[in-house]
Amino acid sequence: MVVLKNVAKTYRTRRGEVHALSDVSLHIEKGEFIVLCGPSGSGKTTLLMTIAAMLRPTSGSVCIDESDLYGINIRERAKFRARNIGFVFQMFHLVPYLNIIENVLLAGRVFGQNPRADTAGDLLKQLGLAERAFHKPAELSAGEKQRTAVARALFNRPQIILADEPTGNLDPDNADSVLGHLSEFHRSGGTVIVATHGQTAERFADRVVYLRDGSIEKSG
Amino acid sequence: MSILALILKEIHHRKINFALGLLAVVTAVTLFIGFFTAGKASNRETARLMLSMGYNMHIIAKNADMNQFLITGIADETMPEQYLTKLASQKRISYNHLLATLQKEISWRGLDVILTGLAPEVCPPGRKKPPMSFEIEPGSVYVGYRVAESLGLKQGDRVKIREKELTIFRCLAESGGADDIRIQCRLPDAQEILEVPGRISEIRAVDCLCFADANDLVTVLRKEIGSLLPEAQVFQAKAIAEARAGQRQMVRNLFAVIMPFTIIACGVWIGVLAIMNVRDRQQEIGIMRALGYGSGPITLLFLGKAALIGLLGAVVGFLLGTALALNFGPDVFKLTAEKMIKPEIFLLIVSLIFAPVFAAVSSFIPAMIAVVYDPAVTLREE
Repeated sequence: MVVLKNVAKTYRTRRGEVHALSDVSLHIEKGEFIVLCGPSGSGKTTLLMTIAAMLRPTSGSVCIDESDLYGINIRERAKFRARNIGFVFQMFHLVPYLNIIENVLLAGRVFGQNPRADTAGDLLKQLGLAERAFHKPAELSAGEKQRTAVARALFNRPQIILADEPTGNLDPDNADSVLGHLSEFHRSGGTVIVATHGQTAERFADRVVYLRDGSIEKSG
Repeated sequence: MSILALILKEIHHRKINFALGLLAVVTAVTLFIGFFTAGKASNRETARLMLSMGYNMHIIAKNADMNQFLITGIADETMPEQYLTKLASQKRISYNHLLATLQKEISWRGLDVILTGLAPEVCPPGRKKPPMSFEIEPGSVYVGYRVAESLGLKQGDRVKIREKELTIFRCLAESGGADDIRIQCRLPDAQEILEVPGRISEIRAVDCLCFADANDLVTVLRKEIGSLLPEAQVFQAKAIAEARAGQRQMVRNLFAVIMPFTIIACGVWIGVLAIMNVRDRQQEIGIMRALGYGSGPITLLFLGKAALIGLLGAVVGFLLGTALALNFGPDVFKLTAEKMIKPEIFLLIVSLIFAPVFAAVSSFIPAMIAVVYDPAVTLREE
């Protein structure tokens, strides 16, 4: 379970302070599919990064399974992230010099062991990328890149997948395909949190949380 | 996939960045090898050139007429040959070369010639140096230009000097000096001809210095050598000694000015390239952070790449620097290049140790920049 209590995040810029999140409290049950919705600048990505243990809030707390994410040191937080959280980003963020299977295996290498290539191969097969396994990201379509990112997110069998505008650069068919794979993960008991300003993801969601100016406008 | 595999794949992907980094290290190593080799060759060349001016320290018999020696360059008295080994084996005076000679003006076939007997040159223990003078085989002679010309002598001729039969090993080219009327043979042969077994007339030294602190080196040397060789007197060809020391200092100064400048310039060059590389890879660093990679692997990615560039640059720079020295050295150092300019394995070892460290140090700040990148910021940027 993910619990955010009175989370606020303020960025200090040359032009003054920007309140990206203000007093956000949110409970996300294990196995829930949540869509964080809202216009650009509403704080969706900031909230996602805060849940991802990558952005310390200015105030408030973030707990996952009763573990306070920002009460542990940075090394422990990185370990926690590697074991429990998978990421999917709008810009895919694949490593350009690694082929597809190596990009997926990169997620497993973090534990200092040689990750199993056959597991990565199975994942790519499930996501329809088996024939692209040895291609470089530059040789793939946007949809294939995003499915590779999904495979990488799934590789360590995380509890939670955080997706930031995962369909932002995809055509409707590919968007459906990617959301379908996230939904499959959700059906197998995983928690999915998707930040988006569109409405494509809402039909897969158990709950939609609307953000505006850094606060939760409504949830339901 | 290991960090090394990641580094190699990234190098393969960003070939230009790698090539430019490699070029910086190769430049630094090549210049280092080039300057070092040139400096060493320059010292040797100077020594060789100064050989014609003579050695910078002379030790002759105490009762020899100094005025006569200064006029003719030949001591009229002799001293024991053991003085050479005595001087060579003591520890208070340093030297680079010691040469014992026996010289006497004689009349031979109607010509006034200088008979010079040369003992094998002595170098400090453990410091084998190329000889500054001839190494003459027993029973052989080197004949000066005027002697050979006047008497119609040629290489291979058998000649008799007093009762001793010798073979002409070489007739020397014209020198325009006393060497033109000199007949040079091995010391024992000269001793036999002149009937002074176990005697020498002079010990010449190069870079003879006393370890004691003193402003007036000659006085100190005289004192030290005086107690060691009681039948000897010492004097220094000061101008030659100073010229040699001055030339060496000049090469050292040149090395000291140019090398740090080159190394700093190449270091900045590598650093700038590393910063560009880090900027190019912000997203990659961000995703690795998001995947849970700590500072160690990220630092290793950049410092490892730098070390690899340094290692390869050391090998290429060594080969290039040596090739340049071998190719152009003989044009610059005409007298000694053939013997002195050769691949120096210890320079390769030095390069292999220092170039990776140098490249890694140059990339340290960029690597630290990579480590402190905030993944939340880099992954949000589109």
